[in-house]
Amino acid sequence: MTIAEDVAILPEGIAWGLLIAFGILWVILGWYLGRKNRTAEDHMLAGRNVGMALATATAMATWVTANTTMTAPQLALQLGVWGMFGYSLGALGLILFAPMARRIRELMPQGFTSGDFIRLRFGKFTWRVFLVVSLIYAFGWLVSLAMAGGVLINALAGIDYRVGMTVILTVCVLYTLLGGLRAVIGTDFVQTVIIVLGVAFIAWLTIDKVGFEAIHFNLMEERPELLNLLFPAAIMFLFNNLFFGVGEIFHSNVWWSRAFAFGRSVGFRAYLLAGLLWLPIPIVAGFVALATPALGINVPVADMVGPLVAAEILGLTGAIVVFIVVFAALASSLDSLLAATSDLVTRDIYRGHIRKRASDHEQFRATKVVVVLLGLVTWAAASYRGELPVIGSLAEVLYFTGAFVASAIWPVVAGLYWRRANPTGAGLSMVAGTTLGLVSYFTIGFYVAALVGAAVSLAVLVLFTWLAPRDFDWRLLAEAEPHSAAPVTGGAR
Amino acid sequence: MMISAEALGTVVVVATAIATLAPFLLIALFIRDWKRGSLW
Repeated sequence: MTIAEDVAILPEGIAWGLLIAFGILWVILGWYLGRKNRTAEDHMLAGRNVGMALATATAMATWVTANTTMTAPQLALQLGVWGMFGYSLGALGLILFAPMARRIRELMPQGFTSGDFIRLRFGKFTWRVFLVVSLIYAFGWLVSLAMAGGVLINALAGIDYRVGMTVILTVCVLYTLLGGLRAVIGTDFVQTVIIVLGVAFIAWLTIDKVGFEAIHFNLMEERPELLNLLFPAAIMFLFNNLFFGVGEIFHSNVWWSRAFAFGRSVGFRAYLLAGLLWLPIPIVAGFVALATPALGINVPVADMVGPLVAAEILGLTGAIVVFIVVFAALASSLDSLLAATSDLVTRDIYRGHIRKRASDHEQFRATKVVVVLLGLVTWAAASYRGELPVIGSLAEVLYFTGAFVASAIWPVVAGLYWRRANPTGAGLSMVAGTTLGLVSYFTIGFYVAALVGAAVSLAVLVLFTWLAPRDFDWRLLAEAEPHSAAPVTGGAR
Repeated sequence: MMISAEALGTVVVVATAIATLAPFLLIALFIRDWKRGSLW
């Protein structure tokens, strides 16, 4: 518990008050929004007609995680200006997904999950490989978010790691269970406003109280490499982060379920606007870390640099703002992952493999059971740590999943746009990309895993398609009920 | 090649200005969707 003793910036009593107040707000809002859900489709896809405002906000909120608010300053402190610029390139994932969201909605007007698409497009082998990649990413991400919640609340306010983690997870499971995707999207709107205003507020005060001249002068004196535009590791990180962000969004059911849920003409515009509005957030959140030399702050753990600067400049007010922003950022991502992963497990594992003739009511009930089970398994995995996790490793945990997600970029893109893509090649490209991406993660560094995963996956997919191209009829994706179809045997005709 | 104080300041101020305006844009869109009955 040394982290809490060293850098806790908020009195425990105030932190508990904020946790309880916002926890109750999210649960009541979730229950209210989801009270009219009657079918699995209502619960999983919010009625398939989400409007522009809620669609844009949910895309932004889900993409702003605790990592954006805490890791962006850490990366600015470690990699300088390219650290925050590189992180902001994550916005390209949202922007590039915009046309894909439109195509997904056109090709699969009745689709439910990313798994539905891969199964119908590439057949069962690639579907199962994809499910493994996607579920490892989703579960790893759920556990790391829950852990980040416990660690950050402990670090910010001294609340016990397991207690903080349990409270955050319980609140998110409760409102996702009660309201499904409607609850997730509705709370995301409020959370987006809180997060972005909070981050901008701290940045404006940092600019006002410290100033760019002082920040630049002190950096040139103490850490000149942070201002270097030709910092090699940082440039490598920039491209890695680009592929990592794109891979996360292209493959994850978090984004696909929204593409199915947004109104017919909304998806493209909402993802595009969300990307453009998200782009500056890592720069705004990360920039404050560059003020540490000018403020004379000693940073014992890199992830805590953002809260430390806020507390130095704003005192108790800054600590409260940071706590609320972090809680909102954690909840907005955890709820989305819980909802999207429960959909994937319900549709692709329960209905796809266990109970193929499950009725709508059974799926509705199964989705709720899966949300609770996911919460329990995540809690168990995040609880049993011998010691408090090392907060400085958050970025490394985040980029570990880079090899998995980046290897899924090209199979998804080819599946949507390349009629002749080889189905088996798509599956093997994910296997090879993930394997070599992980090898590079351990042998070279966390900042190359996604880059290698994407490059290898592309090479394998192109090679297989060049050697054995297969035609595909796009109309096969548009069936009314994806699981009622006869088994697909590879997507080839 | 070092970034200058002016360039750093410009990038950060523009980014912070966009981030400040974003919540107001979302609220305006929300009100518009609400009035049209197209929130959901």
